[in-house]
Amino acid sequence: MNLPIQRLAMILFAAFALLVAMVSYDQAIAGPRYRDDSRNARVALDRAGRERGGIVTADGEIVAESVADASDTQSFQRTYPHGSLYAHLVGYTSAIFGDSGLERSRAGALASDRDSTISGLLDALAGEDLRAKGLRITVNHELQQIATAALGDQTGAVVALDPATGAVLAMVSNPSFDPNVLVTLGATEAGDALESDPATPLTNRAIRELYAPGSTFKVLTAAAAIESGSTTTDTLFPNPGELDLPGTDATISNFADGSCGGTEQVTFQIAFALSCNTVFGIIGMEVGGGDLVAQAEAAGFNTEVPFEFDVVASAIPTADEFVNDLPAVAQTALGERDVRVTPLQMAMVAAAVANDGVVMTPYLVAEVTDADGQVLETTRPTVWRRAFSPATATVLEDLMERVITSGTGTRASVPRVRVGGKTGTPEREIGAPDAWFIGFGPVNAGPDERSIAVAVLVESGGDAGESATGGTVAAPIAQQLLAFWLAGTN
Amino acid sequence: MTRPAEASLLTAAAIVAAFGVALVNFARDDGVDAQVALTFGVFAMAFGAMYWATERWASRSTPLLFPLVALLTAVGFIEVYRIDPGLGSDQRWWLLASAGAAVLVLWWLRDEGVALLRRYRYLFLVGAIGLLLMPLLPESWPLHGAEINGSRLWVRLDLPGTPDAASFQPGEVAKLLVVAFLASFLAERHQTLRVMQRKIGPVHVPEPRQAVPVLIAFGMAFVVLIYQRDLGASLLLFAVFVTMLYAATGRHSYLAGGGFLAIGGGVAAWLAFDHVQVRVSAWLHPFDDFLGTGYQVAQSLFALGSGSLTGSGLGIGRPDLIPAAATDYVFAAVAEETGLAGSMAVLAGFALLVGVGMGVAIHSRDLFRKLLAAGLTLTLGIQTFLIIAGVVRLLPVTGIALPFMSYGGSSLLANMVAVALLVRISHEERT
Repeated sequence: MNLPIQRLAMILFAAFALLVAMVSYDQAIAGPRYRDDSRNARVALDRAGRERGGIVTADGEIVAESVADASDTQSFQRTYPHGSLYAHLVGYTSAIFGDSGLERSRAGALASDRDSTISGLLDALAGEDLRAKGLRITVNHELQQIATAALGDQTGAVVALDPATGAVLAMVSNPSFDPNVLVTLGATEAGDALESDPATPLTNRAIRELYAPGSTFKVLTAAAAIESGSTTTDTLFPNPGELDLPGTDATISNFADGSCGGTEQVTFQIAFALSCNTVFGIIGMEVGGGDLVAQAEAAGFNTEVPFEFDVVASAIPTADEFVNDLPAVAQTALGERDVRVTPLQMAMVAAAVANDGVVMTPYLVAEVTDADGQVLETTRPTVWRRAFSPATATVLEDLMERVITSGTGTRASVPRVRVGGKTGTPEREIGAPDAWFIGFGPVNAGPDERSIAVAVLVESGGDAGESATGGTVAAPIAQQLLAFWLAGTN
Repeated sequence: MTRPAEASLLTAAAIVAAFGVALVNFARDDGVDAQVALTFGVFAMAFGAMYWATERWASRSTPLLFPLVALLTAVGFIEVYRIDPGLGSDQRWWLLASAGAAVLVLWWLRDEGVALLRRYRYLFLVGAIGLLLMPLLPESWPLHGAEINGSRLWVRLDLPGTPDAASFQPGEVAKLLVVAFLASFLAERHQTLRVMQRKIGPVHVPEPRQAVPVLIAFGMAFVVLIYQRDLGASLLLFAVFVTMLYAATGRHSYLAGGGFLAIGGGVAAWLAFDHVQVRVSAWLHPFDDFLGTGYQVAQSLFALGSGSLTGSGLGIGRPDLIPAAATDYVFAAVAEETGLAGSMAVLAGFALLVGVGMGVAIHSRDLFRKLLAAGLTLTLGIQTFLIIAGVVRLLPVTGIALPFMSYGGSSLLANMVAVALLVRISHEERT
C-alpha cells in the first residue's frame, strides 16, 4: 500500500511544481506586462495618490498643488486651482492619458523620491531630501489673465517674452481645457472627448501649430534689406498698385487693393508702416532668396527652438528652392507661400528687435525649490543666437514704432510709452484670414528697464471674421499686454 | 527535531504574525497598537494549547506539523488583517476556536487513539451527507441555507434576538467525515476492491457490487456540483475518493477511471451550466470581458504581476482591488505584497506539510491509520492545489478556501482538526 501512497505524493509534488512554474511565469515573466497594463488600477492609484511638488507663478500664485485626502493622509489629489488658464503650461498628470506640460518635462523634480525600494530607504537614511520639489515659473499671473481675457473665446495664441532674458511672461493658447478633469480616476470619457474635439483644445498653438506669418514676416525682409547695405529708412521705392510677377500670370496687389499712400514712389519707412505688398515684393526680389533665407535662419527658422517643451520649427524653404523662382521670393518676402511660423518664433523676432538683435533662449521655469521653498536651482538667461546686427535692430525699432504711430498698428499704441510692432493678415486656404500682431516696448529700452515682446495670433479673424485684419483684431489684444506691463515706465 | 525546538518554532510563528501586523500598521500610519500584542497573545495561546495537548496526549508525535501550520496560519492571518482588520479580528477568534477543537479531538482520542473513529464510520457517512445537503434547507427555517457569490454552500443560523446571523460552510467539516469514513471502509474492503476479474474492453473493472461506493462518491460530488453550484468542493470530494481508492488498492484503473469520469463530468458540466462556462472563459480569456466575467481573474493577475519578485511590502500593495481577496484569493494578496519570494515560501510550506503528512501515512503500520493519514493529507494537498491553480490561472477558478490562510472559521477549524488527527496518528505509530 505504500507504493500507491508514494506515487500519490509524487503526483502532488509534481502538481505543486506546476504551481511554482505558473506563479513564476505570472510574477516574473508576464509580471511586468500585468503590472503596467493600463487597466491595472494600481498604476493609476499609485500615481494619482502620490504627492507632487507645487508650481507657482513668478508673482507667487499657486497653479498646481497636491492636496492630502481628508480620509487618507497617505493619498494626495493633484489640483490645478486656475484650471484652463495654465493648462498648456502646467499640463496634467493623468493615469489614463499620461503626462503633459511641466508635469511631464519636470516629472523628475515634481515627483517624490520617497518609495519603498531599498535604495530609497538607504537614501533616506543618508539624510537625502527625497521630498517632491517645487517650481517657480516665469509667467506673471496677471499678464496671463489679461492675455487670456483679451483673446476671449477666439481661437489663437498669445506669447509674451522678456526680450532681455527670454523668460516667458505669458503664454496662452485657446481653446484650452480644464486639466482637473483628467487627473481624476475614471477620466476616460472627458479625456476621450478632449482628444477627439475638432477644435484641438489639447494643442498648445503657441508652439505646436504653424501659421503663415503674413506681413509680420516683413520685419525679416526689412532686416535683410537693411543688412544688405543698400536700403535705409528713406530709400525710395516704386509704388505700383499691382506688381506683375516675372514669368507668370500672377500678380501681387496691396491689401484691399489699396494704393498704399497713393504716391508713385514711397519711402522704405512708409512702405513698412503701411505694409505695402507691392513694394515689399520688389524689395524681396532685390534682396534675393539667399539673403532672405539667411536672415530668417539667423532669427531661428529651420532650427528647433530650445525650450521647456518641444517646439515645432518655423520653416522657410532653402535658398536652392528660390533659385530662378523670383515670384516665390516675392511672395515669401510678404510672409505668404511656404513660409510657416509658430507664435513663439514671431515673439522671439520681436524680442530680438528690442534686444539689440540678440535672441535669448526662451525659458519657462525660473527656479526649482525644495519642499520648504528654498531655491535649489535658478535658470540663468542664455543667448540663443544673433538675428540682426545692433545697427539693424535700431533701424527696425524705428520702423516698427512708425507702424504704431502712423501705420497699420495704431490700435496697439500705449499712452506715454513708445512701443513698436507689425501687423499681419495672411489669407487662409479656407475661411477668413488670420490676424497677427508682433510688437515690443518700450522702444530703446535701457539695460535694466522693464520690457516686453509679444506675439498675438487669432485664427481666421476671430470674432471679426472676414473683415478682420492684424491691426483691428490682433493689435488691440497686444495693446492690453503692452499697456499692463509698461504701465509706469516712461 | 525535538519538542523544545517545536516550541521555539511555534513562538517564532507567533512573532511573525505580530511583526506582520506591526508592519501593516506602519503602512497605515497606525504604529504599534494593541493589535500587535493581541495577535501575539492569540497565536501563543492557540498553538501553546495545541502544544500542551500534544505533550500530554501525543508526546511521541512528529514535531514538524504544528510549526508549519502555525507559519502558514500566521502569513494568512497577516494578509486577512491587512485587507480588513475587522475580518482579522474575527479570524483570531476562529483561531482560538479551532485550537480548542484540535485540543478536544486530542483529548477525545487520548486512550483509544484514532481507532475510535472506526466505530462511528456510518455515523460519519450519514453526517457527511447531511452536512452536504444542509445548504439546501429552505430560507424560511431558522437554520437555513444561504447563497453567497452564486454558490449555495453556506448555512446560516438566524435566531430571534441575534443581530448577526452565524454562518458556516458545512462542506469543510463534511470532507473530514468523508475521509474518516473512507479510511475505515477501505481498510476493510481493500482486498475485495482489488479483485478485478471482469473486463470491459481492455480495462479491468471491479465487481459491480464492490464499485457501489465509487458510484456513491461520484453521485455525491455531482449533487454538490448541481445543487450548490460548487465546482471546487465537488472536484475536491471526487478527487479524494478516487485517490484514496487508489491508495487502498494500488489499482491504476481507479485513477484512470476517476480521471475519465472527472474529465467527462467536467465537460458535461461545462456544456450544461452557464456558471461553469463563465469560469472556463474567464480562465482562458480573462481580458476579453475585463469588466465582466474576467474581472476577478484579471485582478488576480494584476496583483501577481504588481508583486513581481519581492512584492510591494506588507500593507503597501493594493490587494483590496481583488474581489474575494481575503478568502479565495488570499494567495494572490500574499503574492502581491510579498512577491514571488513570498509565494514560493507559501508553496514550500504547503509542499512540506504534504510531505510530512504523506510520511506519516507511509510509516504507519496499521491500515486504517495509514489510509486516514493519506486521506487527510491528500485532502489538504488537493484543496491547496485546486485553489492556488485557479488563482495563478493554471486551471479555472474553483472557489474553495486555501487551508489555514483564507478567512473563514469552518475551513480553519476543519483543517486544524485534520492536522491534530495527523499528529495523533504519528504518535501512535511510534509506540
